[in-house]
Amino acid sequence: MTDRGSRIALPAGAAPSAGETPTQRLALLLSRIWAWLFLALMVLFFVVAVPLASGGAVNFLTIRNSQNILVAIIPVLLLGLGQTFVIISAGIDLSVGWVMSLGSVLSALGLRWAFNSGAPLFPAVVVGLIAGVAGAAVVGFVNGVIIAKLKVPAFIVTLGTSFIVRGVAYLMSENTTVIGLPAGIRAYGNDAVLYYIHGEGGGLYFLNRPDVGGDLLRRMDTILPYPVIATAFVVAYAMFLLGKTQFGRHTYAIGGGMEAAVRTGIPVDRHIIKVYALSAATAGIAGFLSTLRFTAGSAVIGDPLLLSSIAAVIIGGVSMFGGAGTVTGTVIGALIVAVLTTGLVMLNVEAFWQFIVVGTVVIVAVLIDQSRDLITGRQRGGPAT
Amino acid sequence: MLRKSALFAVAAGLAMAVASHGAEAAAKIKIGFLPGVVDPFYQVMQLGVEAAAKDLVIDVVTQIPPTWGVDAETPILDAMVARGDLNYIITAPVDRDQMVGPLKAAADAGIKVVTVDTFLGDGDYVNGPVKFPLSYIGSDNTEGGRIAARGLAKAIGGKGTVYINSTNPNVSSVEGREKGFKEAMAKDYPNIKVLGPDYNLDDPNKAAQQTAAVLQRNPDLAGVFGTNVFSAQGAGTAVVNAGLGGHVQVVAYDATKLAIELMDKGVVTLVLAQKPFDMGYMAVQFAAADAAGVTSLPRRVETGFAIIDKNNVKDPAIARFIYSVPGK
Repeated sequence: MTDRGSRIALPAGAAPSAGETPTQRLALLLSRIWAWLFLALMVLFFVVAVPLASGGAVNFLTIRNSQNILVAIIPVLLLGLGQTFVIISAGIDLSVGWVMSLGSVLSALGLRWAFNSGAPLFPAVVVGLIAGVAGAAVVGFVNGVIIAKLKVPAFIVTLGTSFIVRGVAYLMSENTTVIGLPAGIRAYGNDAVLYYIHGEGGGLYFLNRPDVGGDLLRRMDTILPYPVIATAFVVAYAMFLLGKTQFGRHTYAIGGGMEAAVRTGIPVDRHIIKVYALSAATAGIAGFLSTLRFTAGSAVIGDPLLLSSIAAVIIGGVSMFGGAGTVTGTVIGALIVAVLTTGLVMLNVEAFWQFIVVGTVVIVAVLIDQSRDLITGRQRGGPAT
Repeated sequence: MLRKSALFAVAAGLAMAVASHGAEAAAKIKIGFLPGVVDPFYQVMQLGVEAAAKDLVIDVVTQIPPTWGVDAETPILDAMVARGDLNYIITAPVDRDQMVGPLKAAADAGIKVVTVDTFLGDGDYVNGPVKFPLSYIGSDNTEGGRIAARGLAKAIGGKGTVYINSTNPNVSSVEGREKGFKEAMAKDYPNIKVLGPDYNLDDPNKAAQQTAAVLQRNPDLAGVFGTNVFSAQGAGTAVVNAGLGGHVQVVAYDATKLAIELMDKGVVTLVLAQKPFDMGYMAVQFAAADAAGVTSLPRRVETGFAIIDKNNVKDPAIARFIYSVPGK
């Protein structure tokens, strides 16, 4: 969660950190790593509490559980990745939830059409991927154009397109789940790189799902399912894009101050369009992976995830004012939400508590974000959304 | 498919099987209960589950998804499987195709699955595409739809326009009701035109909005069929708000207290009560029987209906099927 992004120097009073006291430095350090600390403490809490609550029957740190958590964060994380870029550029994308649904529906339709037209399984899956991501990216492109060229606030534009996309998703799925997909895609959505069978007769299997039954099947853990690998690649690419390329630097610059960015010659309008297209594309990927996992396209799958994705991004340290934040932070934020839900179920506590806890953590995150500047006496800037 | 007498035989046999294995039968199993969403129907089902758990001395871990959907049910299901200490999961799958994968994974991990209220695939676990669940315990929703159709047709005099308000697509229970309703209307009442279904995604507010819109578009609408708890609630409210209580007949599936209230007010003509307590109780019994070594459990159990109208609503033998949870 370190501030690797360049915060453009702001007018008057923005002196560098030369004169901080040790206490201030400690406070600053804590404010940067608090999400990591919170995650670590939460995991520790569950590791201790779950066996206690279940009388030793249930353990939190198992292979299966860790893999469940990785699988659970995929949609929120993917939505959060695009959202990270958008929020760093001082915008917001409220359409990602429904764009994910649209992506799910379009990839299911595309896959089904390709397969029924005679294509073999893998090319059909590729067609599905392209249909989902391209369709999503179109929506993002439209978002970006209206925001950049027509200067309508992002909040309003993305809210509006979210309604439109929702209607389109329902229409295209004919108001039902898109089923009738080839059964083979379940393997793409659920098979893994490694399989581990505990105990006797067991072993580690690479790439080929061992065809076992009964007791051996029961003791088998699926490690690193393909969607997790795919998401890891997307995350890695996003980190590279944000941290090491001009695209990333421009994103921070625009978030740090629109006028300053324009004055330094950054093609702001084009960049904004790209950022929103990127955000929608990651939502499209999330929809595609969901279609593979559940072997069906669903027009309602993305809606509940929008707010969770924003929560993950904020907890991860991306400032709502723009100009600061990292992909790593978003990953931590998504993990916090997923570990919390899983842990509560294992503690046999009602899952509703997760909402209360996540909401509280979000508010704490924003407070800490704001306090960082109080500590250094730095001026906060960046255009309001 | 079981008739009532056969049902008694099964229940008695189960009770004996479990009782006779009495001492070791608390073969210390642990059951996970994962219904569809928070609503009175599933709350009564939970009462059934808890009653059976108490009678048979079995631990039950219950988690109720806050919203209806695979995105809400699946992570909770996965976490329950990851616990590692559950032997059976009693669940109402929220989509008959999408939940096959996650529940199959639970079965692969050694957890036997009993589906209640809704089914996977086509509900035939012997000859159908999905064969791994232990049993499907629920109402014959298609027949329920037909009963609703006949009741509504009678109430509106055999002709007119009616409207179906439903919850989610691809959910076996409401799908069956829609199908049965349309079938019966098409076959026996060709003079009745059927509009809908609209999907309210299990939100009574949306159900009310959708019904209000239909009422406006069709001022001569004669009847409404609300296919579950929230649909009936919303549709009934919309009819009352439009001042049409008593003029537009409403048939409600699921006997919530609100539906009964509306029936007292003359808004709702017919209420079909399912038997969620039975579903929950029997599911736990089946798990216990299976754990004790019974291999002849029926793969499909129909739990029947109570058809409530204003003539029998005060009869305690019928009123007991109204969904009420103590303290609510």
